[in-house]
Amino acid sequence: MAAPELDSDVLIVGSGASGAAAAWSLSRRGLRVTCLEQGRWVDPSDYAHSRPDYELARQTSFAKDPNVRSWAEDYPINNSGTPIHPLMVNAVGGSTVHWSGHFPRMRPSDFRVKTLDGVADDWPFTYWDLEPYYDLNDSMVGVSGLAGDPGNPPRSPRQTPPLAFDAGCEAYLRGLEKLGWHWWPCDNALISEPFGENRSPCNCCGPCDIGCPIGAMSSAHVTYWPKALAQGVQLITHARVEQITVDRAGRATGALYYDDQGVRRSHTAGVVVMAANGVGTPRLLLNSTSARFPNGLANNSGVVGAYLMFHPVAFVSGVFEEVVNGQRGPIGGLMNCQEFYETDLARGFVRGFELQLSRSVGPLSVANGGILGHPVPWGSEHHEALRSRYAHTMTTSVMLEDLPEPENRVTLDPELTDAHGIPAPRVEYRAGENTQRMLEFSIARARELFEAAGAVEILVDPLVQESGWHLMGTCRMGDDPERSVINGWGQAHECPNLFVIDGSTFTTSAAVNPTSTIQAVALRCADWLGRNYRAVAA
Amino acid sequence: MTAHILTPEELALLTLVQNELVPAYGDLPAAGTLGATLTVDAYLAEQPRLRRPLLTALRAIEVRSGKTPFAELDAGRRVEVLRQVENADPESFSELVKQTYNAYYTRPDVQASLGIDGPPQPMGFRLPAFDESRLARVRAMEKLWRDA
Ligand SMILES: Cc1cc2nc3c(=O)[nH]c(=O)nc-3n(C[C@H](O)[C@H](O)[C@H](O)COP(=O)(O)OP(=O)(O)OC[C@H]3O[C@@H](n4cnc5c(N)ncnc54)[C@H](O)[C@@H]3O)c2cc1C
Ligand code: SF4
Repeated sequence: MAAPELDSDVLIVGSGASGAAAAWSLSRRGLRVTCLEQGRWVDPSDYAHSRPDYELARQTSFAKDPNVRSWAEDYPINNSGTPIHPLMVNAVGGSTVHWSGHFPRMRPSDFRVKTLDGVADDWPFTYWDLEPYYDLNDSMVGVSGLAGDPGNPPRSPRQTPPLAFDAGCEAYLRGLEKLGWHWWPCDNALISEPFGENRSPCNCCGPCDIGCPIGAMSSAHVTYWPKALAQGVQLITHARVEQITVDRAGRATGALYYDDQGVRRSHTAGVVVMAANGVGTPRLLLNSTSARFPNGLANNSGVVGAYLMFHPVAFVSGVFEEVVNGQRGPIGGLMNCQEFYETDLARGFVRGFELQLSRSVGPLSVANGGILGHPVPWGSEHHEALRSRYAHTMTTSVMLEDLPEPENRVTLDPELTDAHGIPAPRVEYRAGENTQRMLEFSIARARELFEAAGAVEILVDPLVQESGWHLMGTCRMGDDPERSVINGWGQAHECPNLFVIDGSTFTTSAAVNPTSTIQAVALRCADWLGRNYRAVAA
Repeated sequence: MTAHILTPEELALLTLVQNELVPAYGDLPAAGTLGATLTVDAYLAEQPRLRRPLLTALRAIEVRSGKTPFAELDAGRRVEVLRQVENADPESFSELVKQTYNAYYTRPDVQASLGIDGPPQPMGFRLPAFDESRLARVRAMEKLWRDA
């Protein structure tokens, strides 16, 4: 469809959650799509689940912090200015290669925080505009869960039923029923019954955070990629993009990248779509300077990289006298409590949070501090202490809405570079005052829940350092070009054939895991781009 | 003969230290005696970044032991020395503890003592099915979300 001299109609940078969904959607319309991905396909033999030392993978080959994992495909991140470290995976499938697959949707109020609560900005569309794409995405990836939650708008039947209800759920339920709080079995991007090709249903083995070797987890490399490749998408792995190129008029022309031999190459396309995540995308745009865009591509407003949001997370663990076997079953997704989700100013803050009632880990990770970083003491008390926690612990993540603040940002580090000499990102972040107040309140509620549930010991990590799973807001959507980088279709205000579709698009963060929304947004943007390609690329 | 990263003296000291960190339990010998020392030596070969903290901790233990070698101290004094090193250099010491736990809890015999009969895959676990009747109270709750 594009001029024949162009390498592709659409070039996508990044093959993760959003890039995979967009590649599938755009190629369905017959567009010639190429995706450049710096990582590789994860080899089935990489997974450690069949080895007795599988828990070591959390510290080495499958560590979630790229600075610790240090794969050749990773790039370093200067974290010295943030108490929360960005976490990600750089491989085909992106950060969904090892994640927890917790898959809640945002609520309608999450898209209207300015109108309803007078803070931050409204999104340029509503929940109801996005709903068909949530449904489409669920039907593509396969979700386990149950419709009918009074905490959320009605939704289509889930593809597979909710996961098991075991002793840990019973323990949580004791507390929830006593307190009369809301709960619901959460939507998970993993299948509990047969769904899709070459995938097995979850057999509750436990450590999803080091990947899923049987394809039960709905990661982008097992959901969208096989279909996108069958539709003719060209996926080039080990292709590290250095910058997006532009012509004199300031239109994107493609990208410069290093191939698997370290050779610098160029790829031309009618439209460039950024899907390199909330740190990788602003990094590349900031590195793409030109006479037209001296501060980085589409950044004459100075908004690229600004308004970074994480979900600041506290972990609260309850140790029970009875065996709850928290190490069995998917680590992340069990139940959600959204009792405190909507704004109630009497609590001393605006917006809200959810309690994500999750499981626990095996003996090695418990010894080294469990999910919380409280190591079991060494010496004569060691064995009794270990045995009181291992198989007796459940952990709740307190996940709260982070408001966008311009000072929280991704910039280019003046010295640090990756293996190809491309400037590394530097992350600056501090939790705002509203967040601090909400953290305090929410930790107290998680404690209350565990006390009501009869926990004999409660352990707290009030701000988890290794919790930068959710990278949002750094190329935010909006109608105002002074306060946003892209419009509601992902199109850059300053560069009409440049699109951003990943986690950096978020105007606000909501208080739920973002990936079902990231993929729904990517599908909505790709749908619009597919329908309007000729006009956009012309 | 396999080449070791640690010298025979360092290996001997590490065994004694690990035996204090994770003592014998039931039929299980203490961590060093059980073989955690050689596993940690292998980690040092694979991950050179670990060498500095571990060697630093071992040196500090020798120094804190004073004129009497660690091996000749009684159990109470050994623990005292380890606590002193832990307080003086928590970073190196915690790495020593972590690598000892790593070596100990990845052993199938130790896992068996905790009731674990194999790695998570390929067997996984069978858990009871979700019971929807448990949702009766919540289903009757009023709508909790704001439309917008
Ligand atoms: C341990 C962990 C647990 C998580 N658990 C959950 C959860 O339970 N629920 C949930 O909703 N979310 C979870 N997340 C977050 C989720 O994985 C991300 O929100 C999601 O993957 C982001 O999608 P994305 O498309 O924005 O970016 P990603 O999926 O991160 O994909 C970005 C891709 O771009 C590539 N890339 C970057 N720079 C370049 C370059 N210069 N050249 C070429 N390629 C490049 C990267 O290699 C990567 O493959 C978790 C994340 C982690 C790390
Ligand atoms: S618990 Fe289920 S989803 Fe998680 S890794 Fe095991 S099989 Fe995969």
